[in-house]
Amino acid sequence: MKKFAWEHWVGILGLALLFVGSYVGLVVAPPERYMGDVQRIMYVHVPSAWTAMVCYTAAFVAAIVSLWTGRRRWDAALVGMIETGMVFNALLLCQGSLWGRATWGVWWDWDVRLTTSLVMLLLFTGVLALRSFVEDAEQRASWSAIAAIVSYVDVPLVYFCVRWWRSLHQVQSSPETVDPLMVFPLRTNAIALVLVAIWLIARRARLELRRRQHEEVGEPERREPIHD
Amino acid sequence: MTEITEGVVTGGWPNVIAAYTITAAGLLVYAWSLVSRLRRFEEKE
Repeated sequence: MKKFAWEHWVGILGLALLFVGSYVGLVVAPPERYMGDVQRIMYVHVPSAWTAMVCYTAAFVAAIVSLWTGRRRWDAALVGMIETGMVFNALLLCQGSLWGRATWGVWWDWDVRLTTSLVMLLLFTGVLALRSFVEDAEQRASWSAIAAIVSYVDVPLVYFCVRWWRSLHQVQSSPETVDPLMVFPLRTNAIALVLVAIWLIARRARLELRRRQHEEVGEPERREPIHD
Repeated sequence: MTEITEGVVTGGWPNVIAAYTITAAGLLVYAWSLVSRLRRFEEKE
């Protein structure tokens, strides 16, 4: 019988929490005083932003470890973290655009927060694009690790830019100034999306390991076992 | 449709529904792509 991989439990827990958090955010939480119901986008928008940044931060760490150890599982993890981060990054931009249209009256503005978020997506897209140009697996791993480390420079910029420069985008709120019924779905969805991201990263990393094994069909002695 | 009256945004539910739908659809499509790509590799093996 096939073993039920650990990440499936993490994914199931993440989905369950996402349902609870979204239900409370859409139905139970009160509307915001000035933005009304449209503020409910926050319960997926902010967790998506946090998750994207968590994925990129994990990718930064994986890139360093991959360079240090040269082990292929860290390279596979790096791919999973970047690709999953990009999914949340793209979702973040779409959700923000819908929120911006309702509150600012525009789908897009070259505001510092929006622009740095778009640059973040483009930089990490570049890292994955770079991988497709390099045939040698070892070289591909080290070049993409270096590119990921360089690209990570934009991540703290995305977080702090609203404090450092004038921006249309609001600065981070403090839980002390927010209704507890708004904090609960926000935190629940944040935890949920991180758990879903772990499932996605684990699946993507397994796929990358398999792909690399297929590349090395002629060199079976270099294979590393995949543990489920 | 959203409407801004005296500094307060009213309506906006279509945007909220669109944001949640895009999030669910994006995650589902990506998850499905991973599952199907992994399955293809397993079939080859």
